[in-house]
Amino acid sequence: MTSGTYPKSARFYFGLTTLSAIVLLFALFCVAAPDGGARATWLQFLGRFHPLAVHVPIALLLLLPLIEMAGRTRFFPSLLQSADFILALSTCGAIAAATLGWLLAKSGGYSGSLVTQHMWGGIAVAAASWLCWMLRGRMSVDHPGTLYPLALIAAVGLVAFTGYRGGQLTLGENHLTQFMPDGLRGWLGVSNQSDASDLASNPGPGTFYGAHIQPIFSDHCVSCHGPSKHKSNLRLDTYAGLMRGAKHGAVVKAGNSQGSELFHRITLASTDDNFMPAEHKPPLSDSQVKLIGLWISSGASSTQVADAIKDIPADARTSQVAEVTFPEVDTDAVTKQRASLAAAVSDLKKRFMGGLDYESRGSADLVVNVSLLGSRFTDQDMAALKPVVGHIVVADFSDTAITDRSAATIAAMEHLRVLRLIRTRITDATLQTISALAHLQSLNVFGTAVTSAALPAIARMPRLQHLYASETKIARDSSIPEPMKSKILF
Amino acid sequence: MENYKDRADPHPGNSEEFAAEMSWEEKVARLQSQTRRHFLRSLTAGVGSMFLGSLAAPYFSSVKAANLTIDGLPRLDFSRDPRSPLSVLPPELTARSKRVIYLHMAGAPSQLELFEHKPELARLDGQDCPASFLAGKRFAFISGIPKLLGSQYPFHQVGQSGQWLSDRMPHLEKHVDDLCFIKSMRTDQFNHAPAQLLVQTGNARLGYPSFGSWVIYGLGSENQNLPGFIVLVSGGRMPDGGKQLWGSGFLPSVYQGVQCRSHGEPVLYLDNPLGVTRPLRRNMLDAIDDINQQTYVEFGNPETVTRIAQYEMAFRMQMDATDAMNIHEEPEAVRAAYASKPGEASFANNCLVARRLAERGVRFIQLYHWGWDSHGTMARDALNMGFAERCREVDQPISALLTDLKQRGMLEDTLVVWGGEFGRTSMRENRNSQTNMKFVGRDHNPGAFTIWMAGGGVKSGMTHGQTDEMGYEIVKDPVEIRDLHATMLYLLGFDHRRLNYSFQGLDQKLTSVKPARVVAEVIA
Repeated sequence: MTSGTYPKSARFYFGLTTLSAIVLLFALFCVAAPDGGARATWLQFLGRFHPLAVHVPIALLLLLPLIEMAGRTRFFPSLLQSADFILALSTCGAIAAATLGWLLAKSGGYSGSLVTQHMWGGIAVAAASWLCWMLRGRMSVDHPGTLYPLALIAAVGLVAFTGYRGGQLTLGENHLTQFMPDGLRGWLGVSNQSDASDLASNPGPGTFYGAHIQPIFSDHCVSCHGPSKHKSNLRLDTYAGLMRGAKHGAVVKAGNSQGSELFHRITLASTDDNFMPAEHKPPLSDSQVKLIGLWISSGASSTQVADAIKDIPADARTSQVAEVTFPEVDTDAVTKQRASLAAAVSDLKKRFMGGLDYESRGSADLVVNVSLLGSRFTDQDMAALKPVVGHIVVADFSDTAITDRSAATIAAMEHLRVLRLIRTRITDATLQTISALAHLQSLNVFGTAVTSAALPAIARMPRLQHLYASETKIARDSSIPEPMKSKILF
Repeated sequence: MENYKDRADPHPGNSEEFAAEMSWEEKVARLQSQTRRHFLRSLTAGVGSMFLGSLAAPYFSSVKAANLTIDGLPRLDFSRDPRSPLSVLPPELTARSKRVIYLHMAGAPSQLELFEHKPELARLDGQDCPASFLAGKRFAFISGIPKLLGSQYPFHQVGQSGQWLSDRMPHLEKHVDDLCFIKSMRTDQFNHAPAQLLVQTGNARLGYPSFGSWVIYGLGSENQNLPGFIVLVSGGRMPDGGKQLWGSGFLPSVYQGVQCRSHGEPVLYLDNPLGVTRPLRRNMLDAIDDINQQTYVEFGNPETVTRIAQYEMAFRMQMDATDAMNIHEEPEAVRAAYASKPGEASFANNCLVARRLAERGVRFIQLYHWGWDSHGTMARDALNMGFAERCREVDQPISALLTDLKQRGMLEDTLVVWGGEFGRTSMRENRNSQTNMKFVGRDHNPGAFTIWMAGGGVKSGMTHGQTDEMGYEIVKDPVEIRDLHATMLYLLGFDHRRLNYSFQGLDQKLTSVKPARVVAEVIA
């Protein structure tokens, strides 16, 4: 069957024009892929019509198999005559939708694998639609062939794939299964967990952040600020991403919720252009906003325990314990983080016979434990740690021969969380020197000559939770400063 | 023989000319290390995979299927220099615990006499057990219709957490706010040996690596002069599961647990015989290593390297193990706190040794104390006799161990686990349908038992899970053995699905093939 209600030459020129448009668009996608930046407003203005325009090719391409089937029954033979026109129209529609889609992606701050897949799906739909139109034009009634039906099936499949990816972009990765009833979910074997995209260091469910804050971000924010789509370069799927901030800078100022961009955005009037969650997605509840505010005010810590903040809203407190997730380690990123210190680490590892290593496979933070070297580890060895001091988070110098001369090096370990100085020859002087360690949570001076005179300096450490002071000269009496009383352990 | 060493081709069957140089005897010896399975594998799979590989290569060259585990996760690399198989590897994730002290109460202590306060059971004491308790259940010894049995000891509330404890653990009471109880443990084994194997190896059958082996395989050991996995046994008898409980299964045997004795020579035959000096021993070892090295080059069996590493460790251990086990060094006050009497094989001494080993960087310290199988058939195991004795034996040492670890800041990164292999029934045992047994006892109950953990990233002063008012079945938050294992591995910095070893065509793991859940509720 040839369906030519218009002359052959018109078909030829239409085909050539649409094909070249597809090729042009293809080239454009190759050279100017979306990069996450936001651009001129008129581009965005046009781009915003993309969600509207996409429904034209979707509807038309899904209509075609129906027409082809119904037209071959004896009831609707006349339908077949419209198939060629519908294909031509869907080709034009797909090209238009893909163009608008590119404008939106390019200007609206999109990037990530979802957008890339959606984009290539879109251009493939246009190409498949064109191919269908071309093949159908060459088909004869007597020999329908197999190419056209195959191309049509492929086109419908591509529409489904691209549409699903588009849905994930706007509604979230799990938009089809999010509200699936549990029974059906179990039957189909659909997991309830979102992708384990968190970094290795994301705080666990026992922390306030892990128990209360991350679940809010996961439910409301990561569909736009997540691993596959990071608008404004902001990622809220991990604590590290949150603290890194957006392209304009930090979004959270620890201790100051009113001055934090993130808190500002979620507390604007919902009609405001800058209100988040944007695009009429459901806003956060009052108690969720309050939780975030309380958390920022109390220091935006990743380690604060879940029940540390007392006056949290009642409906937030009953929330279930979050399941443990196992974040995938991004080996390339880890290698990059470690690049600057890898050589020094491997030297020190050899020198201290394994007494220094990375904290985990996904981290560039270091753990030092030289207690087994005993008196073979001296102040000179401590000085050898200098190239990597900024990366040390846990340090155990117990039973070594270090003295107060090592204090300056320890004080330079600005990210130290745990410090053990059991049975060393350090004195109050060392503790005076290291009192500026802002991240230290646990300090162990068991069996040293430290005295009560060091306590005021230790009390200045903002995050300290435990001071192990057994078998020292610290007296167990009223001379212990008030803030230290709950932290000191004999 | 010298030239084989230079060649250093660790894999047999690679080089034609190499084979041509060998004598007839050497060829036979090499063939003997190849089994029929090796031959068939290299024949069929080899030819087949070459064919398939040539077909598929153009299409799948970018697919790195070999680097995914059976769960579809990227495979972690646990390869090490074969000469130092225990070298430290960082954990996959940030670890909360660096080491484990596991106190296994072999024989399964009664939760109803220690931690499970059940007033309703006490009220119904002596009445016939409801039929619903017996339907479809198998017991080791109970037959007919047994009577319900209330707790033999009074309970009271202690600590900030308000935990109910019986009066059998007066010292542990001080630490109740440091403990995290799981009262809804469950197992599918009701006999001691398989149940102990399940708890310790994740599998009720023989031949699987124990928890400690998995841990040192995954993390290595900080102290290269001591084994990374040490086992101490007390109570006068080996646990029913035998030495397989600390076997390395299909993992290289260098990862097996080493049983040490808390008096005399810590490891039998470790000391030099009379008249052999340390330099002489060194010379001897060098010669043996040399021969072993040649054997390895010829036959490529990794167990040969294990053997070399074991000899070297034994040499280094001669100094350090003796020192670690020497509890005479501890001040009198500390020994008194543990109720330790040097010179005997007691749980108290083992607890004190456990702390000393933990201080020396030993990764996994496993204690067994036998004698908790309270059937009530004799005075030694009766709830009203021997059980109280067992409690006295462990209560003060455990408390002292917790105190010591806490004082030294080690409880922060040491995970202490206490538990048996299953629970005990809410019914009094009536062996051979006897209604009037002389002593009081309970039968095995795999359906519910209690363990506790402390330290290393677990919540303190909390209880997870709940049993019915008879303490017989779990009504809330059941925890399987594999869930406990997954949780412990998580605390040690591992996704349990990724601590793998390929064996028999499967990515073997501690938690075996059924899905396990990390008990997030108990993680601090």
